[in-house]
Amino acid sequence: MAEITLETLGHRYAPGLPYALRPFSMTWQDGGTYALLGPSGCGKSTMLNIISGLLRPSDGRVLFDGVDVTERDTGKRNIAQVFQVPVIYRSMTVAENLGFPLVCRGVPAARIRRRVDSIAERLGLARHLKRPAHALSADQKQLVSLGRGLVREDVAAILLDEPLTVIDPQLKFELRRILKEINEEFRLTTVLVTHDQTEAMTFAKEVIVMNLGEVVQAGAPRALFERPATEHVGWFIGSPAMNFLPARQESGRVTVPGTTLSAAAPEGLGEGRLSLGFRPEHARVVSESPQVAGQVERIWFEGSDEVVALRAEALTLRVRLPGGRVLATGDRLGISVPPENLLIYRDGRLVA
Amino acid sequence: MYRQKYLFLLPGLLVLVAIILFPLLFTIRVSFSSWDVYNPGLNWIGGDNFTRLLADSRYWQALVRLSLLTLATVTLQYVLGFGLALLVWRDIAARRLFRVLFLVPMMTTPVVMSVIWRTIFHESLGPLNPILDALGIGAQPWLSQAGHALAAVMIVEIWQWTPFMFLMLLAGLLSLPQEPYLAARIDGAGPIRTFLSVTFPMMAAISTGAILIRLIEASKLMETIYVLTSGGPGTSTETTSYYIYIRGMRDFQIGYSAALSLTYLVVMIVSLTVIAKALTRMVVKD
Repeated sequence: MAEITLETLGHRYAPGLPYALRPFSMTWQDGGTYALLGPSGCGKSTMLNIISGLLRPSDGRVLFDGVDVTERDTGKRNIAQVFQVPVIYRSMTVAENLGFPLVCRGVPAARIRRRVDSIAERLGLARHLKRPAHALSADQKQLVSLGRGLVREDVAAILLDEPLTVIDPQLKFELRRILKEINEEFRLTTVLVTHDQTEAMTFAKEVIVMNLGEVVQAGAPRALFERPATEHVGWFIGSPAMNFLPARQESGRVTVPGTTLSAAAPEGLGEGRLSLGFRPEHARVVSESPQVAGQVERIWFEGSDEVVALRAEALTLRVRLPGGRVLATGDRLGISVPPENLLIYRDGRLVA
Repeated sequence: MYRQKYLFLLPGLLVLVAIILFPLLFTIRVSFSSWDVYNPGLNWIGGDNFTRLLADSRYWQALVRLSLLTLATVTLQYVLGFGLALLVWRDIAARRLFRVLFLVPMMTTPVVMSVIWRTIFHESLGPLNPILDALGIGAQPWLSQAGHALAAVMIVEIWQWTPFMFLMLLAGLLSLPQEPYLAARIDGAGPIRTFLSVTFPMMAAISTGAILIRLIEASKLMETIYVLTSGGPGTSTETTSYYIYIRGMRDFQIGYSAALSLTYLVVMIVSLTVIAKALTRMVVKD
């Protein structure tokens, strides 16, 4: 168990190439849960491989509990990593798989057996111990991968590299629950890499959103949801994506032309491409003097909610409304957004 | 419905009958005759050829010799091929050059290769013995002593067919996923443990395939013997197919050699099936 500090950490695969991971600094607390969220190729796997030591960073340092481990070999870092594809040692039984890291470290057989038994018990693999590992189902194999990490008592952190991608949807939920329980019980620093926002938001206390090799925003799921630092985060987090409407600065206010949506411009807003953003969840239907009025273009049924695409002249926006409303495409609909939920973005970045 | 489909199947069926079915049935019939160079023709002598065959110790010795030769050469080919494939698998300098270079023996005509090797092994004119002399090992009776001649056959076989193993195993290695290796590094496994626990088990399926193909090929061993030793000295390097060739094509005992071929075919089908089953069972446990 360890606190992980990343000091101006960055990586280029070759000098002269652009950064695959732009230098940044961050500290992950001991026992915390973190999620790296971003689209494919955003640098999240690069970051994970640097932390596990499979990749030497070109810039910066990695510290575990204040000790520099940047140059330390993977095997000596005491990291556990679970990959997207379940990795098991084909020729071994489940018990041999779980014990393998201890065998490699020369732990006495009796202690290995005790340790394997207790971990298998915890992960619900106890009755499979004698079975060949390749005969397990994908989610059980993923548990075995995780178990190989947990079996070491001194493990510093668990890195999960999209571990739920190849798991069946029904089992995904169950596996996620086990991961969460394990984290709470063992108080292990856990880092989850994913491109699935729901996975990130439900699992981690802190979500780090990445895009194009850059850490765009880091914070609690609610903060990311309520105040996305960039338009990209707004798009990426939340379903449906946040609305961003092109806006203009007029006499101390930022307004969206063709509507009465407006927010007070902060001091020194400066020049640039302006937009007003709000969450589809924050829109309310009003019958009198709506801020935006438009035509219903599409309706998506989402259980107790309905997502409605609204077209108001050149603007298209989405709102999430409580279900049960008798709406049809082509209906007129007026909405308002409370002023505290309107956010101003300049050149794609949050201003106020 | 669609009765004309048989019309379209007919050409293939005819070819099949002509090149496999007819020769096989004809051989079976011939094996019950005493067809030879004096009395050609299909008379009926019952199982006489087979009774004679059971007592033909030269045939059974050839069969045992073939089995041992095949097992030994294929095993060595596998070990060497795997080693070479592991060598050029990872990034090393000029690995493309090596990959092509290792394939040269396989791409050369077997008979030509055997002639070149016969020249190399030639006891007074060949280049090998002077080299061994210079090294202080001394000249060897390569083709005139039983043990040496067998070794010479094995060397040529291994030299020629290791590239095949190399090619199959390299293809297998290159298709292996990366994650198990990363996991092994994280688990703290060294290179030997990684090979035994990760590489070898993942290569089991392709290894089985490569070994089986080579076993089938090697059990037909004939042209190397023909060129290199002609089965000699004496009968010490005779393999089954070479012995059948002697009886059939040199002595023209067509009836008897048909009986030998059939027996050989049955023995091969049975033993290769058993080996294939055993190897597959070892690998595929699901």
